[in-house]
Amino acid sequence: MALVPLAYNLRSLWVRRASTFLTVFSIAATVAVLAGVISLEQGFTAIFAESGRRDVAVFWRPGAQDEGSSIFKPEYADVLIKNSPDIELDASGQPLAAAEMFLAILREKVDAGGVVFVPIRGVQPMSFTINADRLRTIEGRDFAWGNDEVVVGRKLVGRIADCRIGDVLMLNTTPFRVVGVIDDSGPFAGEIWGDLERLRVALKRDAYNRVIAKLKPDVDWPALQERQRRDKQVPADVYSELDANLRATERLSRILTQLGMALAAIMGVAAVFTGINSMLSAIASRTHEIGVLKSIGFTAGAIFSSFLFESVLVGIVGGVVGCALSLPLNGIQTGAMNFNTFTDVTFAFKTTPTVLVTAFLFSLLLGIVGGAWPAWRAARMRPTEALRHE
Amino acid sequence: MPFGLIWHNLRRHWLRSALTIGSLGIALFLITALRALVNSLEAGVRGAAGNRIVVGSDVSLWVQLPTSYQAKIAQIEGVEKLIKWQWFGAYYQTSADLFAQWAVDKDVLFDVYPEMKLVAGSMDEFLVRRDACLVGIELAKTYGWKPGDTIPLLGNTYPRADGGAWQFYCAGVYEARLPVDNRSMFFDYAYLEQAGEAGETMYWPGCMLYVARTAEGADQEAVIQAIDRLYENGPYKTKTQPESEFNRQFVTMVGNIPALMAAIGGAVSFAIVMAALNTMLMAARERTRDLGIMKALGFTDGTAFALMLVESFAIAAAGGLIGVGTALATESAIAFQLSANLFPGYEITPDMIMGAVAAAIAIGLVAGIVPAWRASRLRAVEAIRAGA
Repeated sequence: MALVPLAYNLRSLWVRRASTFLTVFSIAATVAVLAGVISLEQGFTAIFAESGRRDVAVFWRPGAQDEGSSIFKPEYADVLIKNSPDIELDASGQPLAAAEMFLAILREKVDAGGVVFVPIRGVQPMSFTINADRLRTIEGRDFAWGNDEVVVGRKLVGRIADCRIGDVLMLNTTPFRVVGVIDDSGPFAGEIWGDLERLRVALKRDAYNRVIAKLKPDVDWPALQERQRRDKQVPADVYSELDANLRATERLSRILTQLGMALAAIMGVAAVFTGINSMLSAIASRTHEIGVLKSIGFTAGAIFSSFLFESVLVGIVGGVVGCALSLPLNGIQTGAMNFNTFTDVTFAFKTTPTVLVTAFLFSLLLGIVGGAWPAWRAARMRPTEALRHE
Repeated sequence: MPFGLIWHNLRRHWLRSALTIGSLGIALFLITALRALVNSLEAGVRGAAGNRIVVGSDVSLWVQLPTSYQAKIAQIEGVEKLIKWQWFGAYYQTSADLFAQWAVDKDVLFDVYPEMKLVAGSMDEFLVRRDACLVGIELAKTYGWKPGDTIPLLGNTYPRADGGAWQFYCAGVYEARLPVDNRSMFFDYAYLEQAGEAGETMYWPGCMLYVARTAEGADQEAVIQAIDRLYENGPYKTKTQPESEFNRQFVTMVGNIPALMAAIGGAVSFAIVMAALNTMLMAARERTRDLGIMKALGFTDGTAFALMLVESFAIAAAGGLIGVGTALATESAIAFQLSANLFPGYEITPDMIMGAVAAAIAIGLVAGIVPAWRASRLRAVEAIRAGA
């Protein structure tokens, strides 16, 4: 089967450039929105997923759905740490494990007004040891143990009230002094850290929320999880830090993905309508030409694929333009509520390969759907009638 | 006015007309729906009652205030009724089934929240039975619950010591408007308290919020200050706010995403409208020859003008009708879906419909006025020659 030369389609697209441009534009807009929303979701998930380690275990109360609802009595946390044979020891034989307290506290937002929940974490010295490879103090100093001092995550500085070095953070009735700024590739960059025991006193909290521990190499995870679940003294659910982090992203991820899909589907229909319209008028004005093509021997299949190709080409160009439009978003910071913990998260649009491939495939789909029916109509034309058409 | 001609012209390129109308319909639907979405965030603020104030911890919603505060707050002048709210944090079947359960003082629930109406079941039973609960109408619909059912819930905030499920007796179904949503469950705080005291769950005698109904003519600001002054020095510092202020906090918490969506959607709708406009203008240009013949037959300039304008309006009006119609037809389904994802209050208001209608009129005018003007000025001879 001889194919219609591609140059024919390219020239035709150029001749009707106004309507080609509009179709490209509407496909590009649709693709850009899809890419934008998915890159938002990717940026949000990345904070939690990329920083999660597989050799760090997180212990939660059995059945707890999030860190805030997990509770351990202090004496139980100590027992848990002492009795777990899988926890790595440091040079002096101490288990590399820490109990932590987590609370979402209400703070004022200075950049946009209003209030948000900011995570505050009461930690033990081992928390720093376990996170030594990723946690850095980038300004000021660490808080002193036993003092009413805190360090704040880099992302809070300038966004949340009382989060600069030297500021005083009022927690219930106790003033805490901000003495340093910490940075982390993961969620800690959006948290406030202080001495677990001082924070517990100020916030009048009896219990701890979780235990984290560095595990020995080659730990048998299923066995560890099973044993801890059945433990007589301190039953607990054990997750890798990665899994625990991912559990905290489910809801916002789902909301973003669904919203993106819904918008893209609705806009996609409109883009397809525009595409069909411009293809139809292109074919109508080329009826005579189609007659000529047919009468010199091009088959219906050749004509169908030629016109489908023309539409797919428009889709591809739209997809590329749309992806290009979404690229400048990469890295732009935005804030949203994490619906699992209700705390505020700052994250950036992240244009990953997944985003671009999804967006591009979607544009291809729009091109195919928009071109199939007009191309079929062109292929079905009778040469004699088409030739008669002026 | 030759209406038959308009109909014929729209039908001659029926597919093109239909697709253009469809595009406009989608754009107008998007504009309306996105406005409703952004608007829904404020629903809790708009619906707030002027005579309710909310007392919570100054630190966090997750820090409880002791139950011992209740008697002291109730004594403050201007506080007429006082109700505890405690988050129960349980789930039905799987943790993905997310809805709020509140332990409250059930005897004053309907006094403080007169917007709640019982639509099924028995209030007496709710008040008498210890394990009774009321469920919102949307919740009842989602899970098929009706009065008399037993509802087992797995505790997350309050897991049972025996590892089993909490059993609630569904005494009735309520319907309310925001700020009380229709996806909540209410039961008596005493039920939780007794279970806690019996050691069935880890329990601390406290609650997330106290909500006070203030007396008519009471100085609300004074009441607020009086409450916060009580606990200025602890043990648990309070933060008291009018209900509208309290609800407003959550609007800013959601973050930039809804605004972002609205901006994107608005821009895209604009793009769709531009594309549709272009099609309409192109279609009008193809008509030069037809118009020339009509003029030669004796149609006046005015008729030609009106013909083109009305045709454009007909397409815009049909698009507007589809857009508004779709928005209204999908309203309850979208509202239900959003509400299930923690965003209650999605509603298409007359205001939004007027907005879409105005947009449709503007589109009809913009797409129609230039072709109409050109049609009225057209000279038959030239038109026929040009169109050949």
